[in-house]
Amino acid sequence: MLDYVISKYNFWIYIILMMIGLYAMIGKKNLVKKLIGMNIFQSAIILFYVSTGVKAGATVPILSGHGHGHGHEVIEVAKYINPLPHVLMLTAIVVSIATTGVAIATLILIYRKYNTLEEDEILMIRKETGV
Amino acid sequence: MAEQFAALIIVVPLIASLFVPVIGWWKKRLCYPWVVAVLIIPLISSLSILNTVMTTGKFSYRLAGWAPPWGIEYVLDHLSAFVLVIVSFISLMVAIYSKKSVQDNLPEKTVPFYTLFLLLVTGLMGIVITGDVFNLFVFLEISALSCYALIAIGEEGAPMAAFNYIIIGTIGACFYLLGIGYLYIATGSLNMADLANILPPLYDSKVILVAFAFFTVGLAVKAGLFPMHTWLPDAYCTAPSAVSALIAPLMTKVAAYVMIRLMFTVFQPHFSIEIVPVFTILGWLAVMAIVWGGIKALAQTDLKRMLVYVVVAEVGYIVIGVSVANRLGLTGAILHIMNDAVMMACLFLVTGAILYKTGTREIHQLSHLNKKMPFTMAAFTITALSMVGIPPACGFFSKWYLILGTIEAGQWFWAAALLCSSLINAVLFFRVIECAYLKPMEPAYAHDGGETIHEEIQRDEAPFTMLVPIVIMAAGVILLGIFSGKIISSVIQFAVPASF
Amino acid sequence: MKVIALIAVIMTGTLLIYGAGDMPDWGDPNSPANSYVSPRYILEATEKTATPNIVTAVLADYRSYDTMGETVVVFTAALGCVLMLRKKRNGEGG
Repeated sequence: MLDYVISKYNFWIYIILMMIGLYAMIGKKNLVKKLIGMNIFQSAIILFYVSTGVKAGATVPILSGHGHGHGHEVIEVAKYINPLPHVLMLTAIVVSIATTGVAIATLILIYRKYNTLEEDEILMIRKETGV
Repeated sequence: MAEQFAALIIVVPLIASLFVPVIGWWKKRLCYPWVVAVLIIPLISSLSILNTVMTTGKFSYRLAGWAPPWGIEYVLDHLSAFVLVIVSFISLMVAIYSKKSVQDNLPEKTVPFYTLFLLLVTGLMGIVITGDVFNLFVFLEISALSCYALIAIGEEGAPMAAFNYIIIGTIGACFYLLGIGYLYIATGSLNMADLANILPPLYDSKVILVAFAFFTVGLAVKAGLFPMHTWLPDAYCTAPSAVSALIAPLMTKVAAYVMIRLMFTVFQPHFSIEIVPVFTILGWLAVMAIVWGGIKALAQTDLKRMLVYVVVAEVGYIVIGVSVANRLGLTGAILHIMNDAVMMACLFLVTGAILYKTGTREIHQLSHLNKKMPFTMAAFTITALSMVGIPPACGFFSKWYLILGTIEAGQWFWAAALLCSSLINAVLFFRVIECAYLKPMEPAYAHDGGETIHEEIQRDEAPFTMLVPIVIMAAGVILLGIFSGKIISSVIQFAVPASF
Repeated sequence: MKVIALIAVIMTGTLLIYGAGDMPDWGDPNSPANSYVSPRYILEATEKTATPNIVTAVLADYRSYDTMGETVVVFTAALGCVLMLRKKRNGEGG
């Protein structure tokens, strides 16, 4: 049992992080906290992807000495970690930053209009003004 | 030649969107003709691709020349070519329509508006055309981000609606990303065709089940299926009219397309049907979407808000067609993607034109609109009849296939829900038509001295750039209905997976 | 709202923990993810793209289309912020 838990510990960590983020996104009333929850949620997924690329005992996927024009030494696949999840996550990080940027811009619009970022206060203001 | 068209379909609107700020900096009024001219090219390309696919079968396009599981490829088969034509056609029509609406509502934001408009179209086309699950995520985010921004500049309450959409849309997109991650762990591949080959022996794996669950939930969020639809009404209703006319027909339909693509191409149909009982759940959710959307629509007095709830119900239609999982139902679902896109585009364009001319969206204030805006109201009436399901119009045929599909699957309750929804639509739209055509003068005109003053009602039709797309759409509703047999026999029957 | 959030979180968490059962162990070099597509990148990338950094080679060549999409995402977000936040300056319609 303990072996099972330890052998997959990366999954437990990312699941915990993701649940924290998901709860904040749905359950919190403050819009900034929702946004922070969104960032935790996305970071958890990024960590999950990166952890899948790991090979025990391997190093970063940069071939030193195998550069262009150099010799033809045999490359051992097991010695370098999987590059693909890193590539995917570089894209996903950029997407998450872009989403955060757009979300903050909408928050600025909301704050200009209602002078608050608490969801229930905004709903009250909207009810009072009849919109 | 068709391969090059496949590349053009994404590259042209993308590069053109980079040039919009340059052109707008030089002369702002040139943005509109530039966007319209640019959007003609994807339409021509997608028509030519559809033609090629119909004559020679499916083909793929390798980006940067790398072989599929290592590089990324476009896959063009009947389904994706068909949806591409819909997306490019509707976006061209909405672009033509947008001139007055943008001039009127967003004069100082023309340049970023049109740039994001093109990016949104690029994102939608990219989702449809790509054959790589991760690439699909990237384009999903391009379309979603431009959509968030375009919604946020709408009327009162739009930023709040946009923020809710960002939060819920990100949950959907992240669930999709998580599904990709699980598939990648279990298979090591990201290419759709490759995944379809690797997956069958792995169907017992829990990882695949979880991946499938996350795909389904994520795409249901993006499509606005019933319990996850909460972001949809506010977002679509508060957006500027040119924007809601683009996103209401296309965003949910493209998400439904991805759902069909994943459930029937990446996963074999028998996995989706036998191993996971997901279709029963989806079908009942769709029934609830239809009923709930119909009831909420009946309660609205605002024309646009009513249509938004009709969108929620229409998503239910497509999902029912997917969940009956037989040839007839899926034919109905794919046909309904097209019909519903055209009908919804037409209805939202009409609503925008009415708002532009009369300044109101309240249904009871629309009296005598048939005299003020005869062509617009004629288009509205045709589309309304199609929504109800009167035969020559296209709405009848997709509903017919959907109902046949539910009956063949033995789901009588689903068939009843579809029929019931037709009745609700009849009440909804005849209420509007009654207000517009039959309602007498507002009493304020005639209360003086008890004598009825017959004021001549001036004809005040929508501007030409708005009227042309509306009339084309209304003609499309009829023509697609008349030719739906041909469309099914030449395109859709090949788009349905062969194992049915 | 908090109750709905908790239910959603617990359901998702259960699903994830259930799915983790069949996952390969952490750092397993023979898991499908590490043994199907990616070895070819490690073996070929340097030779075919003349780049010692394999992540760069995959990012900018094999999957360059994703990277193009990524830059477009940034462009979209920047323009989205401009669209939302830009106010009309005095005397200029820009």
